[in-house]
Amino acid sequence: MDDLTREFLIESQEGLDRMERCLTDLEERPDDKELLSDIFRSVHTIKGTTGFLGFHRLEKLAHTGENLLGLLRDGKLLAAPPIITGLLELLDGLRGILKTVEETGSEGEAEDAALIEQLKLLQALPAELPVSATAKDAEARAASPELHAASTETTTQKKTLPTPPPPAEPPSEDRVPVKPVTAAVAATDSTLRVDVALLNQMMNLVGELVLTRNQILQATAQQANFTLLARRLDMVTADLRESVMKARMQPVSNVFSKFPRMIRDLSQMLHRKVRLVLEGQETELDKTLLEAIKDPLTHAVRNSMDHGIEPPEVRMATGKDAEGTLRLRAYQESGHVMIEVSDDGAGIHVEKVRSKAIERGLITAERAAQLSERELLQLIFLPGFSTAEAVTNVSGRGVGMDVVRTNVEKIGGKVELESRPGLGTTLRLRIPLTLAIIPALIVKSVGQSFALPQGVLSELVHIPAERYGREIEWMEGAPLYRLRGNLLPLVFLEGILKPGGGEKPGEGRENFIAVLEVDERRYGLVVDGLADPEEIVVKPLSTVLKSIGIYTGATVLGSGDLALILDPGSIAVRAGVLMNMQQERGEAAQQQAEGDPHDAEFLVVETSGRRCAVALQDVLRIERIPITRIEYVGLRPVLNFEGQLLPVEDAGNILGQRDRMIAQDEQITVVVCRDGNRHVGLAVHAVLDVAAGSQLREAGTGRPAEGVTLLKNHVTGVVSLTGVEALHEEFSSGDQMMVGTNVP
Amino acid sequence: MQSLNQHRPMHLQQEKKEVLAEVCSVQIGETYFGVPITHILEIVGGAQPKPVPLAPTFVGGLVHYRGDVLTTVAMRRVLQMSEQQAAQDILVLEGEHGCYGLLVDSVGEVLTVSSKDYEANPSILDARRREFFAGAYKLDGKLLVMLNPEHLDPMRLDAE
Repeated sequence: MDDLTREFLIESQEGLDRMERCLTDLEERPDDKELLSDIFRSVHTIKGTTGFLGFHRLEKLAHTGENLLGLLRDGKLLAAPPIITGLLELLDGLRGILKTVEETGSEGEAEDAALIEQLKLLQALPAELPVSATAKDAEARAASPELHAASTETTTQKKTLPTPPPPAEPPSEDRVPVKPVTAAVAATDSTLRVDVALLNQMMNLVGELVLTRNQILQATAQQANFTLLARRLDMVTADLRESVMKARMQPVSNVFSKFPRMIRDLSQMLHRKVRLVLEGQETELDKTLLEAIKDPLTHAVRNSMDHGIEPPEVRMATGKDAEGTLRLRAYQESGHVMIEVSDDGAGIHVEKVRSKAIERGLITAERAAQLSERELLQLIFLPGFSTAEAVTNVSGRGVGMDVVRTNVEKIGGKVELESRPGLGTTLRLRIPLTLAIIPALIVKSVGQSFALPQGVLSELVHIPAERYGREIEWMEGAPLYRLRGNLLPLVFLEGILKPGGGEKPGEGRENFIAVLEVDERRYGLVVDGLADPEEIVVKPLSTVLKSIGIYTGATVLGSGDLALILDPGSIAVRAGVLMNMQQERGEAAQQQAEGDPHDAEFLVVETSGRRCAVALQDVLRIERIPITRIEYVGLRPVLNFEGQLLPVEDAGNILGQRDRMIAQDEQITVVVCRDGNRHVGLAVHAVLDVAAGSQLREAGTGRPAEGVTLLKNHVTGVVSLTGVEALHEEFSSGDQMMVGTNVP
Repeated sequence: MQSLNQHRPMHLQQEKKEVLAEVCSVQIGETYFGVPITHILEIVGGAQPKPVPLAPTFVGGLVHYRGDVLTTVAMRRVLQMSEQQAAQDILVLEGEHGCYGLLVDSVGEVLTVSSKDYEANPSILDARRREFFAGAYKLDGKLLVMLNPEHLDPMRLDAE
């Protein structure tokens, strides 16, 4: 079954559910025009789509139903009980066919003649409701704009009716009322369908929160075990937050589903042949953000249809398939949701952009001559830019791309454009997963705390004071750091925040380099200190402070302190870091390709005085947690991590005896690794280093030795993650088996 | 600027009726200033604003105020006085572009002043100060210099 059919099924199911509700209401209020229009719309939508998808049996049935409903809606028939029964039968009939479609992919062979005959008979019932023609028309129109969008259809259908001619004003396309449509959109935008299970969970959590609050209130008076309560409160809050966020998440298919119809209409209007491919529809995004990208996406799709994909003749002439492809793709990438609109059309001709920008006075000729191709493409986003030869109904008014960028940036997103002349254009929207709360690393500089969004952070490097002179290299005043052989431009946060400071900021004290990747720029931001990462709530800044340019907001830290949120992109621009990451990345990839595939990188850890290695590609993260967070299933130590159970391998017996008295604040290090699809934790004494290991061969046989590697000239055992016993086995075999074997 | 607008015509037609106004008195350095209470949302005592590097000099820093982050205007810097280290009080004012804080040395009591005692800015005041001040009330033994909150809005100060 293709996506379109599946979508149609879901949509129709929803429509029929609504119809059912309305029908039962209708029995009580047979003259309610809104209910009738609602039912009419559901059936009409099904009819419209079925025709398009080629389900003729459905179409025929829906069409008969529609005729009957049309009469009811126009007040020529009263919704008497037999009619409602008939309509309910129609509903069941439609549901039956939809079910067959869902199961077999086709409508099946059964005949609906009896039902159709019955519905036709019902149309002959006498009219009992006199309603003035104009009122009827106005109401009908206000309630069902779709009807008028398909005006030709309605008129032909009316001709077949034996009833009196349609009311005075025939529906016309140009008079489709705008207001009711937008009102309807707003109504659906402001409501949200939420899974009942999720709501229940949220309710439970709120209950928990209230209980904990009560206990805290009491405990403050009695000074009982505060840490315990605090921990519970922390857990409940985290869970509740997650649930609320989940409730706000919606699949992008909610927005994507609007496009097939739009593409169909546009391709007819513009005489293009276009195939629409939708990918990653299940990707979820916050409801508000989803609403916010609806318009930009529509603009982008229109632009692709109008300026991107060429008419079939042109495509044939250039040797392309007459049918163009428009691809809408959604996927997640490092804390962002990416939405791509790509076409295999004409692409954007950079020279055209250049001359157009000059012609429109958006840029001077001298400046335009200096711009790189990449920068020239960015001109498209300037207000008032349009390269279309002619302004069409669809696009070309020079507002599109400007609006796309403004709207996306408003919600903290980014727009990227890639285009190759003759081959196509890709517009990429980078949307944050959620608006309000972001994970951030708290860094220190000039004696203050600042928040650095973790989305752009790729790694951290510690430079102790005594290694400052050796590891930070200067090239004519430009600080650099050798990161695994490549030079990384450095930006001292202190130098940015306090311009005109010393020649070598940060000298003589400890420094940390936060390696950031933002907007194709890669650089190291040097700070004086690091604090724990925190999930921060972004608070807007006043215009005066926003205009400084390097802060995106402020936040209140767990300590109650205020911290400004840094904008890594602007800092890079301010410090003059160039966009050269692509090139670097390319080099890095090349190096990797050239290197011996066995020379993998390893994380070197220490457990009970022994050095072990974990393949770096398996390491997800390193957690420093209070030992009290380790819990036990039987004798197996586990870690409840963000609601997921993580088995912890304790080869070095770090956790010690179960009933050993442990200090409340003792911390342990857990390396969280990936083993196939599951995650396991390794309790270690310390994380030592990252190093490249090389393959060892067995003496004599020359076979690659397994389970060991050569790290910095030491033979080091590699931890076998597959050896860590799975949790579920233990559960299934009951609690009798309590001792896991300690591998590595 | 209600009270201010009330005062100005008063000054021109001085012998007319006496109008009373409520003014919050604050101290900055040696001088007593007054802010019409109609503009004040709240007074926050003992605040320690967080400095904002690279911000315009008049910005005294940020404070956490009712779930929001408030930009403050350091009156000492606006009036080009020397900095003071001790904790300061903040008047939260509502401006055209949202709320902002006015950082003063200390907030005193609310006084009821009479239009009879009002005098417009003296001509010898420098142009910059004339912007921020809106005349003065002659009190017993001291002057209460009225501040003009509209001109102290961070947006406005930034534009200058």
